[in-house]
Formats: sequence, C-alpha cells, structure tokens
Amino acid sequence: MISPEEKRNIQEQLSQLFGSYKAEWLKEQMFDLFTEPSYFPELLTARPCLLIGGRGTGKTTVLKSLSYEGQFVLRGRDPKTIPAWKYYGIYYRVNTNRVTAFQGPELAPERWIRVFAHYFNLLICDATLRFLEWYYLHFPTSPPLPDVACTNVAKSLNLSDFKTLRELGDGVESALIEFEAYINNVADNPKVPLSIQGSPLDILFEGITNLPPFKGKHFFVLIDEYENFEDYQQQVINTLIKHCGQLYTFKIGVKELGWRRRTTLNENEQLISPADYVRVPVMEKLESAFEEFALKVCNDRISRVSSGQESNAKTRDIQTLLPNLSDEQEAELLDHTGVIQRNCIEQIGVTGIHSPEIQEMATLEKFFLCFWANDHSKPLQEVLTDRLANPSEWKMRYGNYKHALLFALRRGKAGIRKHYAGWNVFTQLACCNIRYILELVEQSLLLHLHSEKSITEPVSYVNQTLAAQAVGKKNLSELEGLSVHGAQLTKLLLGLGRVFQTLAADPSGHTPEVTQFHVLDAEGSLETNADVNKLLTAAVMHLALIRLTGNKPQDEADTREYDYMVHPIFSAFFVFSYRRKRKMLIGADDILALVSRPKATIRRILEKQNRLGDEPLPEQLRFFEQFYNADS
Amino acid sequence: MQIRDQPLLTEVFSDPALFRPKDESAYVCGLSSEHRVPRVHNWESSLPGVLVVRVLDQSTNEITVSIGDKTSKIFLRSSSHLANFWKSLNRSSAYLDITGLSHHVWAPLLKSALSQSVKLAVVYMEPMEYRFSITPTEGEIFDLSERITGIAPLPGFASLRDFDGDNICFIPLLGFEGTRLAYLLEQVQPPGKKIVPVIGLPGFRLEYPFFTYLGNQSALATMYRFSVNVTFSDGG
Repeated sequence: MISPEEKRNIQEQLSQLFGSYKAEWLKEQMFDLFTEPSYFPELLTARPCLLIGGRGTGKTTVLKSLSYEGQFVLRGRDPKTIPAWKYYGIYYRVNTNRVTAFQGPELAPERWIRVFAHYFNLLICDATLRFLEWYYLHFPTSPPLPDVACTNVAKSLNLSDFKTLRELGDGVESALIEFEAYINNVADNPKVPLSIQGSPLDILFEGITNLPPFKGKHFFVLIDEYENFEDYQQQVINTLIKHCGQLYTFKIGVKELGWRRRTTLNENEQLISPADYVRVPVMEKLESAFEEFALKVCNDRISRVSSGQESNAKTRDIQTLLPNLSDEQEAELLDHTGVIQRNCIEQIGVTGIHSPEIQEMATLEKFFLCFWANDHSKPLQEVLTDRLANPSEWKMRYGNYKHALLFALRRGKAGIRKHYAGWNVFTQLACCNIRYILELVEQSLLLHLHSEKSITEPVSYVNQTLAAQAVGKKNLSELEGLSVHGAQLTKLLLGLGRVFQTLAADPSGHTPEVTQFHVLDAEGSLETNADVNKLLTAAVMHLALIRLTGNKPQDEADTREYDYMVHPIFSAFFVFSYRRKRKMLIGADDILALVSRPKATIRRILEKQNRLGDEPLPEQLRFFEQFYNADS
Repeated sequence: MQIRDQPLLTEVFSDPALFRPKDESAYVCGLSSEHRVPRVHNWESSLPGVLVVRVLDQSTNEITVSIGDKTSKIFLRSSSHLANFWKSLNRSSAYLDITGLSHHVWAPLLKSALSQSVKLAVVYMEPMEYRFSITPTEGEIFDLSERITGIAPLPGFASLRDFDGDNICFIPLLGFEGTRLAYLLEQVQPPGKKIVPVIGLPGFRLEYPFFTYLGNQSALATMYRFSVNVTFSDGG
C-alpha cells in the first residue's frame, strides 16, 4: 500500500517529467530531458533543412536544442566549451499574432513584401546581436565586431550611423519600436526606412564570421512553426533560403502540409529538395526507429522518478511496466465470465466432434470457428472437419480474423469492449509522435497510482486501456482549439470515429479490420472537392487523420489522391483497430456532410457498408450522445 | 488627469426600452443579425437630435460607416482617420454601442476617442439567454460563433517585439467558448506557469460562470492538471 504523501510526490514528479508535453512549457528542463533523435546529424550540415512533422513530434525541442541557448545547457553550462562549438543557432518562432499584422488594404501587396522583409531583417539582426552580447559576456576580451561592420549593418538597415555593437543593438531595438508604431498607423503612410531583403543579414554574418572565434563556424537561423507565416511571407523566406549563401543557413520546423508556398518571390523559381534544402520528415525518419527512440525517452524519464519503494530507479523499464497482451489472452480477459467459452463449447459439442485438438484450442479460435460457420452459413460440423483436415490453411485464416474478432466479443456490452495495452501497442497508437507516447505513459502510471499500486508493479491491462481512452478523449477535446478549422475537425473526427467503431463491432459478412479510407471525388463539383481538400489538409496538419504514404502521388499537395486513417491515438476512445489494414471508399460529399449533418451521414456511410447505424455507443462516447442524435 | 482616475460608473437598465441617449449626442453602433441589436434603436425616431452612426461593414482593418445618407470608410490602423471621425461628429458627448461591434472595431474606436478626449460612454446590451448548440461538443455548449477566424493583433495595438518569457503574464478573460482559450494558448504559447485566466463574477445569470468553467474545462485541465488554484478577487 502506498502512502498518500508518497502518491502525491510521485504524481507530481510524473507530471513534471511526462506531463509537460510542450517544449515551450518545459523551458530549460527541456534540455535536461533531451534525447537526440536518429535524424539529428542530418540537421548539422551547412545546408538548409526542412523539419516536417505534426504537433508533438519534437520539432521545437530539436530546433531549440540547436540554438546557442540550448547548446549551452546541453553542454553542461560550461562557457569554456563555447568557442569549440561547430555551429551557433539563432531561434525564432513565428508568432501568428505578429505576422498577421503584415497584411491589409492599406498597402499594395508589393509594398507589404518589402515591409515584411525589413521586419524580418530587424528581427534576425536583433536576435543575432543578442547572441553576440551573450558571447562577449562570457568572453569579454574576445575581438569585438569591428566598427565598420556595425556601421555597415546600420546603413544597410537604413538606420543612423551606429559605430559600436552596443549602439547598433540599441539602435535595432528602437528601430523595432518605431516600426511597431509604423504598423499600427500604416494607413497614415508615415515614412519608414526600409532595408533590402537579406542584405543586413549578409553584412552582419560576414562581419561575425570574419572574427577569429567564428572563422569556419556555421550559423543557423532556426525558424519554428513556419506554417504560421502568411503565404507571401513564406515566399519571402523561401527567397532567403534559396539565396542565403555560405555565411548562414536556415533550419525550418513546419507541420505537415504547412509549407504552402514552394516558390521564392519569383513565381518561376521553386525550392527543390535535395538541390536547395534537405527534407527531414520526422515521421518517415523515425518510423523504424521510433520504438527505440521512445523507449530511451521514457526510460530516461521514469528513472528520474524517485520513490521510497525502490532502491535503484535507474533499472526501471517502461516495457516491463506496460505488459503486452496476446489476442488469445485478451479474449480470455474479455470473456471473464466465461459466457463465450461456454457457448462455443456447447455449439461444438452439438456437432459430435470431440477432437482433442479442438478441445484444447483457445477460446478465441473456437469463437472464430463458430463465427466462420455462422458467417458463411455452413454447418459447424463441416467447418470443424475442414479445420482438422487443413490446419495450415485455417491457421492463416484465423490469423487474418482473430484480432478483428476481439472487437466483436463484447459487442454492445457495458464496460471495456477492447483492451489497448502494452508498450508495443502504445507506440503504434502514438504513431511516431513523442508527445502522445508521453501522454499514454503518464496517464497509465497515474491511474495505476490511483489504484493504490506501486510504481514498481506492472500497470494492469484495464488501467492501460482506460489511459489510452483518456488520452484519445483529451486530444479530441483539444482539437477544437488547434486551428480555425477546429470545430469542423472535431465533428469530422466524431463522425469518422463512430463509423469505424461500428464497422469494427460488426465484422460478420464483411472484410475484417477496415481502418482506412480513400476519398472519392464529388463528380462535377469543384467547390466540394476544394472544400474537402481544405478539411483533409487541416485534419492531417492537426493530427485528426494520418495520410498514408503507400500510394504516394507525384504531387504532395494533391490531398485527395492519398489514403487516410483516423489517427490511431483515437482508436481506444472510439474502439476500433489501430492497425493499418483494409480500406473503404467515402465520397467527398459525405466527408463534408459528416461535419454538417453527422447523424444522417454516418447512417448513409454505414449502409453502404451493409451495417446499421444503431450500434449502442461505448460508455466513453455517451458524452457525445446528443451530438450523434442531432438531426441538424 | 489619467483616464483611470476618472471612473464612469455603470448604469444598468433592466429593460432596454428604458435607455435613452442624451439629446445632441452621437451614437455609434454596429449592425448585427442578432435580434437584440436593432431593439436598441427604438428611441431613434423620438430623439432626432441624436446623431446615429452605423458601422455597416467591419473588415479586418477598415470599416464603413453611415451617417444619414452618407457613407465613408475609415482605416482602423490610422490615428488620423480615427481622430477625424470623432471630430467630424461634432457632438458634446458620444456613445459607443459595442453590442454589435467586433473587438477589432470597438477597441481602436475607443482608444482614439480616449486620446481625443471625447466624452464617451460605452453601451452593451446583454442577452437574456443563449441558444444551446444542437451538436454540442466539449468546448461548444452554446450556439455562438460559427468558426474561429484566426488570431491577429487588434488594429493599432500590434506588438512586434519579442519579450523575455519571464516578464510575460498571460491573462485571458474567459467566455463560454473554450475553443477560443485553447486556440489562443496554442497560438500564443505563453509560459505555462504564468497564465491567469479570469472568470467574471457574478454572471449575467447565476449559472453562467459554471458554463464558463465547463466550456473551458479542457484547456484549464491542461494548464493546471493537479492543482486547483482558484482565487476570488474583488474587482472593486
């Protein structure tokens, strides 16, 4: 039995280590907990890189770890190491609330481009000058940036003739304040000195890289949340990426499909990988190595939880704490009252076949044979005889169906209808998203503690399942606030979740484990197709859906050519399979109608799949009963 | 004297029909599809001395206003346009009815009026009730906003500099729509431990603060997790 104080203490530690999912909230602790992903070395070259990944895939952590502040902490806060670093990163997060100020009817589009380019020059100069200040704070006797370089940067920014680094720093800061006043009164067309795109940065970095401590060093401009830029602003930065030269380079973090403009300001000039930049898609890069990476991250964190119950926390292993469950074991667990087993034995007994091979079968396999006979309208006796005569063929058949049948064992019953347990299952639910795996582990351990269990004991299958459901629900709730399409995405997800849940619960007479869909174009309706594209793009960007790359079309932006799947993190909440299996077709009209008329559309999609839409809702979905019943 | 040292006490009318603006004043208001807005103007025919200014169009950075038969455009990111607007009304006092105006419209109008020392009172008509959503989700209990249009600085209030995270405190004033808070947190990304959400008390109706809690529960739970840290602050 764990004491209340001990429980509280462990809860707080878990919350700190696993619960502060956002890199932004962790501040410096982020670097203490940093685990280098396998693709990290690709980012260290002097070439522009585009780090592409959904929310929670660790882009911010990686970019911040490349910043000089991050490197300082990662290298033990030892100033002596600074001159030996091979690169220095300047971090900048694109803040929507700022960049949206650079548009409007007051100026012509060409003028906004110039104004924004100047703003970006000021911002990066300001951040780089702060880096220099920080450097000189540690190395006051290091040769200063020459006066001529300061003057040239100032001239290039169209500022007064500042001679020293201090003057230049103060001058850029006050130029930003003046610029703010300019934007707030932009319709009055006040005079504002502008600079040529990238020019002050070239001069500044040339000055810096000529200084002895920085000779041969790389400078990275790290831009996070690139998707927040307006389209034309992406073109401005694309131009810098394309033409930035050798003095500095860009490392960009962007959500999947968030890089909307691929051209520079010259519409005919595309940014092409690998000629212009290195493309680093996090999910693809991590796919095979994710489990190992996630294990390292989680084991590192769990080993830091100190408790009075264990002498050596270092040996804790998250895989041991989250045990797996085979399909056969799970069937026994779901049939804890033995009703299904008795029913199967009874049916088999009636056939008069008393083979020890059949009698010794797991409940799930017996259930499968009875299901098969019923599904194919064959006498069970015939099925059993065939099974005994052709065991290898039937093993394969059983292998294809057994996981899908788990969803039907407790169809319509109260309580847990399907378990989601085991480290391996959790990594599949997370789908290469490190934030999701942290959430799953934390929730499991918290429920475990609430059940008065010690952190040294494995978490029960039930608590793991409830944790997976809770994480699904939490992310469903959060979806509303993630984007301007949030409300639509929530409704789309509720609709699709209900469809796949009903398909899973009723496998009889159908292809097992339908978990994906392909969108059929609405014939003759360009508007519908465009709306669907927008919705699907937002759904992928904010992880309501995942796009499957198996049938990757030539044009990445051709949203409708992909296959889709509800993100597996929602599978426990809705109760369907997290595995990538078979697909169905859904019309573009129905995708939109799931948002506007959920009840009728869910029914229509299910009818096309020969199912009825009256399957009772699982307990955890009852909160949305009103939503599913609304005749809007 | 600073504006904060010249408080204007709130006058509450239990029936909108009881409200009458002062004669010879200007009354600036928006048009809205909400039924509560047109009722404000029951007095219009009986008070011909009041100059009614209607904001016909509320674009992101400009508005169209009508005074009598004349319409004109005003840029909201223009101190001179806004100042000229108030001067052109040529009245001793003015009302700014924010009931049908978006935040991005009334905020710059108010800022300009204060800087022009316009003798101004703000009018707001609270709704008797809200319609419940027929497809409710966690952050969307009532049928209020159709969608989020995004985040942008209020015209004239843009701040373009980066501040040190330690010197920032984020104070969202909560409404029923939890989606808004969640969206703001996602976009602004304020430091986790320096967010102070405010729920106004008492509500227009007794139960409203509880709906505010309910609608925002997802975002609040993310922020606070285990700690329940609610403090009552007297605003008076």
